[in-house]
Amino acid sequence: MIQTASIDDVMRALADPTRRAVFERIARSKEVNVGELTRRSGVTQGAISQHLRTLKRAGLVAERPEGRNVFYSAKPEGLGPLFDWMSHYDAFWRERFANLRTLLKEIDP
Amino acid sequence: MNVTVQTRTEEIVIDELFPHAPETIWKTLTSSELMGKWVRMAPSGFEPVVGNHFTYQTTPAGGWDGVIHCEVLEVIPNQLFRYSWRGGHESNVGYGAPLDTIVTFTLARAEGGTRLRMVHSGFVLPRNETAYRNMSGGWTNAVERIGAISGS
Repeated sequence: MIQTASIDDVMRALADPTRRAVFERIARSKEVNVGELTRRSGVTQGAISQHLRTLKRAGLVAERPEGRNVFYSAKPEGLGPLFDWMSHYDAFWRERFANLRTLLKEIDP
Repeated sequence: MNVTVQTRTEEIVIDELFPHAPETIWKTLTSSELMGKWVRMAPSGFEPVVGNHFTYQTTPAGGWDGVIHCEVLEVIPNQLFRYSWRGGHESNVGYGAPLDTIVTFTLARAEGGTRLRMVHSGFVLPRNETAYRNMSGGWTNAVERIGAISGS
């Protein structure tokens, strides 16, 4: 897992409701440009660009320039700092219990 | 936001009924060979004896070599098995961060088999972080809840 931003960075980036809405919108689309984000946001393009910079710094969003457009996509791994050891082991043990069930079926049919 | 000021410890609990005798399940929990099969990491140097030290090798991260250090803390055949589970490194955040936890398996005979309860305890979390986990709908849903947590 890539860990560049800290929990604080990620929290700070997502604490602002407008920025969070921007992030959610990006997360729901495969890729989206600033124009599309602005159209449905009710804030200026400048404000959206500012939010995008913050999200990018926090490692939550990636950008891909194409001609005169820049397309933004969400980076789920950017939420890594929030998904700590505990969520790792929560998934780990659930999966392992499923393995155990299969193993027990094999050795004690 | 004071996300890192206050901390709390949390545990993971899994409690399931298995259609097998406690003795059969006990074998899978305390035999090196069988542990390797379902935990998917073969323990190194394991003996089901209190005081035994063993390790698991998992994926390294940053300054951490990926070795999980365990010590057997309690063994009551067919009933209870407890060991410590330590690893991680100060240089990491999230996966790979310092970890000092305890894993406890409890077996209880039940109708139709055995109730197996696993408690992995001692996770130290920033207080606010709790709400990020326990998410049912994936990470976008988690993000939606951040507003409520951060008080915005």
